[in-house]
Amino acid sequence: MARQQGWIALILALAIAAGALLASFPLQLGLDLRGGSQLMLQVMPAGSISRVGGEQLEAVKEVLERRINGLGVAESTLQTVGDDQLVLQLPGEQDPSRAAKVLGTTALLEFRAQKSGTEQEMQTLLRLKRQATAVLNRRQARSDAAQTGGSSTVPARPDADFPDAELSKTLNQLGVTVPPGSTETDQLELLLAAVNSKIVALYEPAQLTGKDLVGAGRQQQQAGNAWDVTLSFNREGGEQFARLTQSIAGTGRLLGIVLDGRSISEATVGPEFKAAGISGGGASITGNFTADEARDLEVQLRGGSLPLPVRIIEVRTVGPSLGAENIRTSLVAGLAGLALVAVFMVVVYRLPGVVAVVSLSLYALFNLAVYALIPVTLTLPGIAGFILSIGMAVDANVLIFERVKEELRDGTTLMRSVDTGFSLAFSSILDGHVTGLISCVALFALGTGLVKGFAVTLAIGLVLSLFTALTCTRSILRLLLGYPALRRTGYFLAASASASGASS
Amino acid sequence: MTTPVALPPIRFFRVSRYRRLAWWGSGLACLLSVVGMVLCWMTPSIGLPLRPGLDFTGGTQIQLERACQSDCAAITVDRLQQQLQNLRLSPGPEGAAAPNLAAAQVQVLDGGRSLMLRLPELSPDQAAQLTDQITAVTGPLSPAGTSINTIGPTLGDQLLRGSVISLLVSFAAIAAYITVRYDRLYAALALLCLFHDVLVTCGLFAWLGLLRGVEVDSLFAVALITVAGYSVTDTVVVFDRIREQSSVLRDLPVVDQVDVAVDATLTRSLYTSLTTLLPLLSLIFFGGSSLFWFAVALTVGIAVGSWSSIGIAPTLLPVVGRRR
Repeated sequence: MARQQGWIALILALAIAAGALLASFPLQLGLDLRGGSQLMLQVMPAGSISRVGGEQLEAVKEVLERRINGLGVAESTLQTVGDDQLVLQLPGEQDPSRAAKVLGTTALLEFRAQKSGTEQEMQTLLRLKRQATAVLNRRQARSDAAQTGGSSTVPARPDADFPDAELSKTLNQLGVTVPPGSTETDQLELLLAAVNSKIVALYEPAQLTGKDLVGAGRQQQQAGNAWDVTLSFNREGGEQFARLTQSIAGTGRLLGIVLDGRSISEATVGPEFKAAGISGGGASITGNFTADEARDLEVQLRGGSLPLPVRIIEVRTVGPSLGAENIRTSLVAGLAGLALVAVFMVVVYRLPGVVAVVSLSLYALFNLAVYALIPVTLTLPGIAGFILSIGMAVDANVLIFERVKEELRDGTTLMRSVDTGFSLAFSSILDGHVTGLISCVALFALGTGLVKGFAVTLAIGLVLSLFTALTCTRSILRLLLGYPALRRTGYFLAASASASGASS
Repeated sequence: MTTPVALPPIRFFRVSRYRRLAWWGSGLACLLSVVGMVLCWMTPSIGLPLRPGLDFTGGTQIQLERACQSDCAAITVDRLQQQLQNLRLSPGPEGAAAPNLAAAQVQVLDGGRSLMLRLPELSPDQAAQLTDQITAVTGPLSPAGTSINTIGPTLGDQLLRGSVISLLVSFAAIAAYITVRYDRLYAALALLCLFHDVLVTCGLFAWLGLLRGVEVDSLFAVALITVAGYSVTDTVVVFDRIREQSSVLRDLPVVDQVDVAVDATLTRSLYTSLTTLLPLLSLIFFGGSSLFWFAVALTVGIAVGSWSSIGIAPTLLPVVGRRR
């Protein structure tokens, strides 16, 4: 009896602790349950690095973390997965496309001087670029105005438009093949991309890169709505920049600012800088950016360029109300299933059935407490794993009670039957749980995100189920059998079954 | 008084009397499963034994909820597909042209309230443009009810490989455990049952994929591994009983020992399957769409597992054991 009471006290203490734990540490819900976006990034090998390792991954993560902080995204988490992947989670109703744009670019900034003897070609290209950009901007403004429902405030100026014939001729000259069925806007964008890559080809190799940046900022242009991005260099970078600008000052050659191989700005350097170049360690990029573009570029430059390129390989977005719907339906399903199991146990096993229901409730409580403690982030597959582990926990009880019934049918006394039932059922229970745990280990070691969540909750459930079936059920049952009023075979076995068992 | 060699009373039935029936039934089910998977493989649009879902093929899947309660205007799949082809999407990253949406699959769910689009891989930007522009046909959408999933082709490969490897590794580990705890014969039979259960579950989904277009995702792989775990547990319980009583019933033929063990564990096997199936059935009926096919796969797998642990693994033991 004393030993039984010790166990009961331990179980009660654990139950109280579990309750307190749940009250103070709320369960963490996955994005599929509370809504949000998840982006998975693959770090690609490049240059001299043919295999991405932990060190490179950490370096990439550091840069991306700075960028995310710069974006001001609430409660986001960035985690490494395996050797070459990163997962970014954005909870709530946040637009993943902005994060994708900011994270996915390498942000390698280069300052390059124009090659001498290419002035003529450059002028032609720049004229094309200005023309295409102007037409595109106007179209954008018009479609924006049409979308907001207001009448077009931007006057259509057909004289500045790109005539169809000229556009297709220019594209031909640049060697661009136009996919059939593309619109004029598509063609203009293709043209712009081709022009930009031609411009980059006219530059010398980079003499100065974003590595020497110490800061980046943005400011609105004095006239108009466009934004500039301002840069400040460290001492070495400042000297480089001065030498670079000095070499082209007054020659009519341009200074190209190239981001990820795209020419974003071309600047002239006046003859007044012939003597010493542009000194002071500062510069600004006049790229006619919108406020958002300027901010994103600033964030990328300040975070530094990525040591290796990344590619976005998975984006999952779940709306908050869908998440709430997922919780609601899984809860209803889970509770309905458990209620059915409880009814079944009580009807079939009577007094032990009631004990099993109590110990299974404790089991569920312990499970949730462990989720809060570790902490396990609950996802939809995780809930499925939990519901299945309850199945295993019930199985343990069924195995034991069937053995007890068998012993009773053979005419063994009640107390002995209970003890024998537990000890005989033990090896089957252990085998079942161990094989289950083996599957969990395989799933956890080799599976990915969703599968891992399932494996973790199922494994926790299996370990706890061994504990509750062998201690909770047993201790409570033995405690109850301490009361002579409850020590009646009829509470364990239907009268007909025991009679037939005895007669055979 | 009973003598040690007398056959203990049988409460329900002697399973060995029906073993041919059980073998035929299972053989037929396995044959149908293999036929289904071969048919799936030969269907040009599938080309694999099971119809792979977004998780394995890569692509973008968009679920939209229209912001109308009960008075949603009627909407047709044709109209939506037409609109998809007319969409203007910006080029993808690195200047890649926007994908052609002519091959998009469209499903209208919940009596027109929500839509499911299966598309080639879209960048987050393009997906946002699509949900913006499709409102011309669908009317306003509820942003809180939108779900967009994009899986790159490399990740799809990775998920598929990970699923298959974890399946095989867990099978091997389970076999090793049973070999240590029991012996090689039991392990071989338990594995045979496990393959039987997994095969029948896969076969059902091959047929579902052929006839109803049901796709398998990484949750399906999870279901298979769970089925494998349950199958082995069920089989082991019966074997455990055979081993436990083998000292008492040593002088009886193996067939009789098997009959006694199956008979004694029958209630437990059925009750356990039943108590596991109850939460699963409630997942099927109340659990919503996201876990529906997962619950179906588990329900079928566990039912089949229960069947094979009663009718196949123990009844094969005398046959295989004699030849050893």
